[in-house]
Amino acid sequence: MGYSSSVLALEATALSKTYGRFLGRGGQQALSGVDLAVPRGTAFGLIGLNGAGKTTFIKSLLGVVHPTAGRVSVLGGSPSDPAIRARIGYLPERLHLPHAWTPTAFLASVARLKGLSAHAQEVRRQLARVGLGNDAERRIGGFSKGMRQRLGLAAALLGSPDLLVLDEPSDGVDPLGRAAIRVMLGEERARGATLFLNSHLLSETERVCDRIGILSGGRLVREGELDALCGSSTRWRIRFTPGCPMAALVALGFVPVEGVADEPPIFSCEAADAPVLNELLDQARAAGALMVELRRDTRDLEEVLADAVADGPGAAA
Amino acid sequence: MRTLAVALDLLREAASRRWFLALGIGITLLLACFGLALRIEVVDGALAATRLFGKVLDTDIRSVDVAMRYVYRAVAYVIAYGGLLFGIVACADFAPSLLSPGRIEHLLALPVRRWELLAGTFLGVLVLALLGAVYGAGGLTLILSVKTGYWTARPILAALLASVTFAAIYGAMLASALLARSAAISAAVGVALFVSGIVAGNRETLAPLLEPGLRRALFEGATLLLPRVSTMADTAADLAASVPVDGLALGSRLAGLAVFALSALAFAIWRFEQRDF
Repeated sequence: MGYSSSVLALEATALSKTYGRFLGRGGQQALSGVDLAVPRGTAFGLIGLNGAGKTTFIKSLLGVVHPTAGRVSVLGGSPSDPAIRARIGYLPERLHLPHAWTPTAFLASVARLKGLSAHAQEVRRQLARVGLGNDAERRIGGFSKGMRQRLGLAAALLGSPDLLVLDEPSDGVDPLGRAAIRVMLGEERARGATLFLNSHLLSETERVCDRIGILSGGRLVREGELDALCGSSTRWRIRFTPGCPMAALVALGFVPVEGVADEPPIFSCEAADAPVLNELLDQARAAGALMVELRRDTRDLEEVLADAVADGPGAAA
Repeated sequence: MRTLAVALDLLREAASRRWFLALGIGITLLLACFGLALRIEVVDGALAATRLFGKVLDTDIRSVDVAMRYVYRAVAYVIAYGGLLFGIVACADFAPSLLSPGRIEHLLALPVRRWELLAGTFLGVLVLALLGAVYGAGGLTLILSVKTGYWTARPILAALLASVTFAAIYGAMLASALLARSAAISAAVGVALFVSGIVAGNRETLAPLLEPGLRRALFEGATLLLPRVSTMADTAADLAASVPVDGLALGSRLAGLAVFALSALAFAIWRFEQRDF
């Protein structure tokens, strides 16, 4: 994997899980030989279609599901060790909350089970942080979906864990709430926590994570830096004003991008670094082209996911 | 200790449930109503006259302790059978609720061992049953003791015995929840054990009614391992009514119940450790 185990927040080696096996046979394979290493301090996003095995993978990391084969190491230890789990904050996809309790009582219970001493102050702090400070003594039963989600996030954040495993953290949260969650996750990363995110909101994953893994059919079909997965750091897209000298631009190495209906067409070009790029642009301007937009030639995660799934084991089946 | 934290959370959860609030209020209202409606006149240690809701009860003049024995015996039976049935129905949902999706994953991701979660749930339910039984029996004993001047803690001891019987039944209910997460199945297992426990308590009387042979052997074998619900209820009633109880026999029955409860709990923990959620 290229990392020493001391710098890894989590490591899965040949991880497999088959549900419903009878006498070691049959069953539904959810994970099949997944190898993954996530360095500490990373914001890792796990994406994939429904049934790809994301939730099973997360549950295997937490010891909630027993792998059929393979090995999992979290924060340098086994997830079955309570001392390791004490350093993990987890938000399940659909957290069950006691309706008759108040957020304060719920978080106090979680804090007690986490073994946090003097937890009253920490509970108040996290409630204020997720924007529930004024609702701390209301019954959870009267909360909206977004408020419940934020309460679940507060439970995960209790005790400043080293690893945050969040399953759909912004599900049901309004756009401003999502922005607030992004800020909180940024703060957690800034203090050194590792984020492991599972979300169907790919735009959120793209904005929060710097490393992505794509699961398809129980296999990890893509894994790496977001930039590396989504595009090239040396490829650019440029838009010029209408009436630009097409022939001259093509001669300089600008390639019209196919399938884009804009007039004039958007061009792409290769430039190893900033001086090369600027020289190319100078030559284009000298030929009479006026640039109005420049950006990296990257694909969004949706396209990357679609490609990965098309190439993955599901496609071969 | 995290087992205690789990048990305390269960008590908090129970306190927030309408069933248990209604039970607490119901017991309190019944005790208050009984306390206000009952008038007892005691002359020289003998029960001279008794009025309930103003109506004179036609009873012979007899010493207070003898008269109270019948009352306490009846109370012990009500607690042993009624309390057990209520406990089975009211507590059937705790384990399935603990295992509900979205809750169990969250709990298992916390630094709590699986056995601590189950042991905490078991302990919490037992404390709940004990509190209910002791509150009801204690309140009634207090009222009658104040009114008659005859003080005894025997009805409370009877309530404790009923709680021990409930521990055995709840152990099996907990184990069944690990096999099928359903409050209805958990309650059905509890009721089945309750009924079969009454049969098991009378196995010496019932066995001769079957023809000697396989059927009788099967009956005796099946009822051998079951908690003796009716025997424990009879013992609790004897204890409440100041009838001498064979200490050795009682100890043996209590040990049997403890073995049954702990075996069921051990099975539940073993199953819990194997399961994926």
